Amino acid sequence: MSAINLKIEFGGGLELLFSNQRSHRIAIPANVPVPTPEGSDVQTKPADLTYLIFWLRDNLLKERAELFVENGTVRPGVLVLVNDTDWELEGEGEYQLKDGDEIVFISTLHGG
Amino acid sequence: MSCGNPTTEPDALMQRRKKYDKTKNCVKCKDTQGNIVIRHAVYCKNCFIPLLVHKFRRTLEPSVNPKPDGPRRTALKPAGNLLVGLSGGLGSSVLLDLIYKCYIALDKSTMPAEGGRDHPRHERVWKKVTVCYVEVCDAFPGMKDRTEEIARFVSRYDELDFVPLRIQDAFDRTWWEKTGRKASFSDMGVSLSDESLLIESLSAGHPDPLTALRTYLSSLPTPTAIHTSIQILTRVLLLHTALQTSSSHLLLGTSLTSLAVSLISGVAQGAGFNVREETMEEWTPDPETRPTPDVVLDDVKDGADKGKKQLKRTVRVVRPLRDIGMKECAAWAWWSHIPIVGKEKWVWPGAKPGIGTLTKDFILGLEQDYPSTVSTIVRTCGKLAPKGEVSGKCILCGRPAQRGVQEWKARISIRSQPPPPPADPTDGSAPPVPVVPESKSDTRPSLTPYLCYPCHTTLTSRSARPVPSPWPNAAQASVVALPVWTEARLGAGAGGEPSPADEEIMVAKKMGQAEMKGIVNEFLLDD
Repeated sequence: MSAINLKIEFGGGLELLFSNQRSHRIAIPANVPVPTPEGSDVQTKPADLTYLIFWLRDNLLKERAELFVENGTVRPGVLVLVNDTDWELEGEGEYQLKDGDEIVFISTLHGG
Repeated sequence: MSCGNPTTEPDALMQRRKKYDKTKNCVKCKDTQGNIVIRHAVYCKNCFIPLLVHKFRRTLEPSVNPKPDGPRRTALKPAGNLLVGLSGGLGSSVLLDLIYKCYIALDKSTMPAEGGRDHPRHERVWKKVTVCYVEVCDAFPGMKDRTEEIARFVSRYDELDFVPLRIQDAFDRTWWEKTGRKASFSDMGVSLSDESLLIESLSAGHPDPLTALRTYLSSLPTPTAIHTSIQILTRVLLLHTALQTSSSHLLLGTSLTSLAVSLISGVAQGAGFNVREETMEEWTPDPETRPTPDVVLDDVKDGADKGKKQLKRTVRVVRPLRDIGMKECAAWAWWSHIPIVGKEKWVWPGAKPGIGTLTKDFILGLEQDYPSTVSTIVRTCGKLAPKGEVSGKCILCGRPAQRGVQEWKARISIRSQPPPPPADPTDGSAPPVPVVPESKSDTRPSLTPYLCYPCHTTLTSRSARPVPSPWPNAAQASVVALPVWTEARLGAGAGGEPSPADEEIMVAKKMGQAEMKGIVNEFLLDD
């Protein structure tokens, strides 16, 4: 199975949930299974940002998952940049990841 | 027409709306692909940076000169120095970065293009800039002390003075004396166990500041009251530090998002009268707690009398990021490589989230789904004008208090209800009217007349459920020490100022039928 390499950065205090490490290099599968009803054939789709968020929660996150993920996406107040561009311009969770992408998660939850 | 079933009919789901208008290109320069979406408008990085600086300057600069909103043809000339409140959070870190670039380093990228190189706008505005950090770790169990990290963060910037404080300084007479005031007042405290808030003497003398802080917090009735009290203590500590550093301005890093949170949560806690102070306020210390006589020598040559000028020391609290959302702050921090120290949540074992925390979660969700609504909250609150007259300043928070709130509160609320008499179905009389019991304790001095409505509510409004204390072992004292500025004013009040005991005392008592008839007799019609 082919893999894509990504650079992940955390900022604004979010790194505290990820071993206090700001920068990570990871490899995830290029194609991932789509959840289907039991008994039907396993289908796959290209890995997207939503998959990455759950992958990070399951593989890199060390504590308090509720501060990172909420209702199937990142918690309100977390800004996501895809190659230095707001993920809202890239389709948010539906953005299909490419090899070499740099994804930044910045928490805005630390108030004034 | 019925709603479709999305599992069988794919078209039944509404199309997800795009977060940006029309194209992905920047709305300013048009031809570059955008990097950030701000309330549906797309900006590229090159246009975003000057936009944010412009919004910052536009909010701050009209309030720099002593006469606000006056013509700004001349240079910016503040009446004193500058104090920046730093919490280590995103907003205040971005604020400090902007202050440094715009007014200390005079970074060319932040200068307005118009006006020329030698325009007075390009001169340094404040002679001295001080950064004050209030460490709150001693208020909550298990919280990390971040003073050193904050000091390292501040040292990134040259020419800044750093004043680290601790939240318990609010109860520290030594700190009060360091700010130039006298701390020779008697050991008075307040009983927070019931809502009459009686002023009593501290039997065991004045406790050490940390014990006093923890006892005070443990005696508060709700988690909301604890959070609000920490915010009040921090704010007043900053105000007195501004005075100490001869600062005419105190800048806080409250962003648009944070301001919307504090406005809504303030109104929910009864602070509707102070809705304007949440955005901008002018604070003048009380006469009895001012550090030095308010007379300064002016360099006027014609006569000694004219050379003396009465100056009323005022600190103007400005929130220059109030037009800038949290998302914009985060993008600025990332693109400017600002290392955010961060703040911990104010929690303790068993604590339920308070009004402030719940409001913050709500506003953040709202901003995510409907980004313009948060700005609408702030703009709508900006149009509000509080009704009623101001009756002095609150002894605890220093904000204007509304006249007559206690009388109003007494009218609208049932403070205590006597046990109902045995029901007699044949009697057919009206149900018993609740009355406030007449009590001798009502004539004793109370803190209530000195408090504004939200502070009185914070100290007295109890939760129906038991509230776990952050410091359960500290919650033993029946009389708790008050912040030093409150003690100072109470002490001054006892020495000549009108005390609550001298004021008119209103006692509610149940009136007999004959007595009532005597009063209304002349208005009764003959049978």
